[in-house]
Amino acid sequence: MRAKRLTGSVAGVLVLVLTAAGCGLSGGSGGGGATAGGCKVDQGNVGSGKLTGDVKGRITFQTTNLKKDFGSFFNGVIKDFEKAHPGATVKWIDDPGDNTFTTRTVADAQACTLPDVINLNSETATALTKAGYLLDLGVKDPDVAKPFVPAFWKSSTMTASSGATVHTVLPWYTGGIVLTYNTDLLKKAGVDTSKSPSSVFGLFADYEKVAKAAKGAYYATMANPVWRIPADWDQMNIKTLSDDGKSAVFANDPRTVQWVAWMAKLYKEGAMPKDSLSSSNDPSTLYSQGKVAYGSTNPSFVRFVKQNSPSVYAKTGVGQQPFDSLGHTTGAPQYISVAATSDHAPVALAFAEFLTDAENQTAWCKDPNVVVFPTTTASLDDPFFQNVTGNDPFSDARKLVAEQLKTATAYQTNLSPAVQNAIVAQVQLAMQGKKSAAQAVKDAQAKANELLKQAG
Amino acid sequence: MATETARPVPVPGAERTTAAPGPAPSLLRRLLPGPAPGANGAALYRRWWLPWLWTAPAIGCAVVFGVFPFFNTLLLSFTDAKPLGGAAGFVGLDNYTRMLGDSDFWLATRNSVLYALIVVPLMVLLPLMLAVLVEKNLPGIGFFRSAFYTPVLASSVVVGLSWQWLLADDGLVNTWLQKAHLIRSAIPFLSDSWLILLSAMGLTLWKGLGWYMVFYLAALGNVPKELHEAAAMDGAGAVRRFWHITVPGVRQAMMLVGTLTGIGSLRVFTEIYMLGSSTGGPGGADRTLPFYIRDVGLDPLTGNAGYGSAVSVALFALTLGLTLLAQRLTKEEEA
Repeated sequence: MRAKRLTGSVAGVLVLVLTAAGCGLSGGSGGGGATAGGCKVDQGNVGSGKLTGDVKGRITFQTTNLKKDFGSFFNGVIKDFEKAHPGATVKWIDDPGDNTFTTRTVADAQACTLPDVINLNSETATALTKAGYLLDLGVKDPDVAKPFVPAFWKSSTMTASSGATVHTVLPWYTGGIVLTYNTDLLKKAGVDTSKSPSSVFGLFADYEKVAKAAKGAYYATMANPVWRIPADWDQMNIKTLSDDGKSAVFANDPRTVQWVAWMAKLYKEGAMPKDSLSSSNDPSTLYSQGKVAYGSTNPSFVRFVKQNSPSVYAKTGVGQQPFDSLGHTTGAPQYISVAATSDHAPVALAFAEFLTDAENQTAWCKDPNVVVFPTTTASLDDPFFQNVTGNDPFSDARKLVAEQLKTATAYQTNLSPAVQNAIVAQVQLAMQGKKSAAQAVKDAQAKANELLKQAG
Repeated sequence: MATETARPVPVPGAERTTAAPGPAPSLLRRLLPGPAPGANGAALYRRWWLPWLWTAPAIGCAVVFGVFPFFNTLLLSFTDAKPLGGAAGFVGLDNYTRMLGDSDFWLATRNSVLYALIVVPLMVLLPLMLAVLVEKNLPGIGFFRSAFYTPVLASSVVVGLSWQWLLADDGLVNTWLQKAHLIRSAIPFLSDSWLILLSAMGLTLWKGLGWYMVFYLAALGNVPKELHEAAAMDGAGAVRRFWHITVPGVRQAMMLVGTLTGIGSLRVFTEIYMLGSSTGGPGGADRTLPFYIRDVGLDPLTGNAGYGSAVSVALFALTLGLTLLAQRLTKEEEA
């Protein structure tokens, strides 16, 4: 009798488990009606019509690691929004933004619990757009583009699963891109600091000069190629992926092999610390110690040096990042998106537009605790950016970025971390001399395609 | 003197059906454990569902967090499911076939097995030796016990960063070795794939020593001191007493440590990530199986949860296989 009961119980548990496991396979919530990414949603959130409805209800707004330093600013924005829209309330949550951010956000999306308004990086926005979890803002509010710098808005696009180009993100803020260097070390190497190189290979040539002059006493830059792929290739207008994003094509451009050959040569000649090949790519510490000639490429870094290493700051120079074939700077900003699964999409959309409007962007960029730049035309025309005074490196950096943002684009090749790692790994082997540059590029493309193929 | 009242005449076997005087017990009373008025308590405790009731929370947790994920992974391994959901198609044994021909999978398997083969014996023996050293109640021994245990408390990320700093070309280890004229140029701990793997093993050992030392300290308390005294009187030295008295005395604890360390070694990720970065060493040469599962299965854009699950099943089989093998070898040795 007992054995029978036990058998029955075990069978019951197994049936439950297998049933649940079966549910796990189907994914998302089923049923009829409108769906987004497998979740049931309001009809108005999907399709081609403009989003209408009362701006009333409670929404959740998620930022990434901003609460600690900017709590009062964002609470003020929320208060202003709620005052302008009686009946609408915003609950603010802040994600730590660690390296599991994308995974956790994707898990939220699968559980149909994505925050209504969410601060996203390019990689996560790409993943969520592909799976249909984000509102097509360009369709849901045809006027949404108006405040943004045209080049930035046009390039702030993502690819839907259908292959269509959609505006699921609002460009919010960007850190800017500049060249930062230690003028003393560059002068010792005979590098002309009055004129920045115009191409990536020109910059590499300067790195080589530093390596030859330093003879191991200091370095030009860090070795890990992870922060240069695909940023350098984008700047050089090398096509990394095919138009539909389903295959890697960078090996078709002969400049890719040249680029890898340059990296291998620089590593061999001692332009980069040997132990930085697969470890930290952050030059902040070594630059602040005067051991690396080129620093990080953003104005925030210049302020970091100013605050932490005044003696090195006094030697720091700022120049234009090489425009190369692209002719302007490019790089994804931080984005704001609205979840297609929102129960109060009109409120969420209104808040997203309110947060990213010129007034709020300008106000935040003026916050002394932050070095960020706005993406709206009116904000960039503000005297705060147009009339930067001072000739110190930090002021120079701010002037350069404010100027370049008028023509900059948000375009960035979005490689998945796995594909990026697969490419970087092959470049590392070439840098160690274990493979020729040509072979490494060929193998990198094959590995990338293997991963892209399994994604379908 | 108490007044005698009429009592029912006891009838063998009738206690189960004899109704208690007074109102019938409520449903809650009947469900709750403990003797109902007038009923035999022992009989109540023999209700078949009672053990299930007590163990239900534990079983629930095991099913939700253990059994269900396991079976789900098993099922997913026969599909082409994506991390972002959507319809998953049945692909039969395709994922397993792909795995067998995947050189990256075999490289990751080699690294994981190597990790276990090197770390497990060291992790079984070194903490035992450490425990023997700190077992004696000498003045100040508490400081050493605490010092050896400290790495256990430190976060893996902090420890990883400290080791990065120690093993850098201009880090403490290379600087000391150079100053001692033992080496001319820096040892490439962080750029050579073999050295990264070995350094990661060192990190695992260093972080785990204190934890297993505590295991052994508890086990050593059960080794009769008289045996040591008798052996010493017979002329056995410290090493001989260690191998012939201490080791057999803590055999069960060693078996447990070996099993736990084996499972942990096959699942190693953080150490490789901290010392070999997101690629898992130059060229991805230091990737272990969990690292490989992350790359092929969990990437939100290009991951294939089906294939990742198949590799997970392989990792499970490997872990189970090695554990059973270790148990069998131990039993044979005991026999």
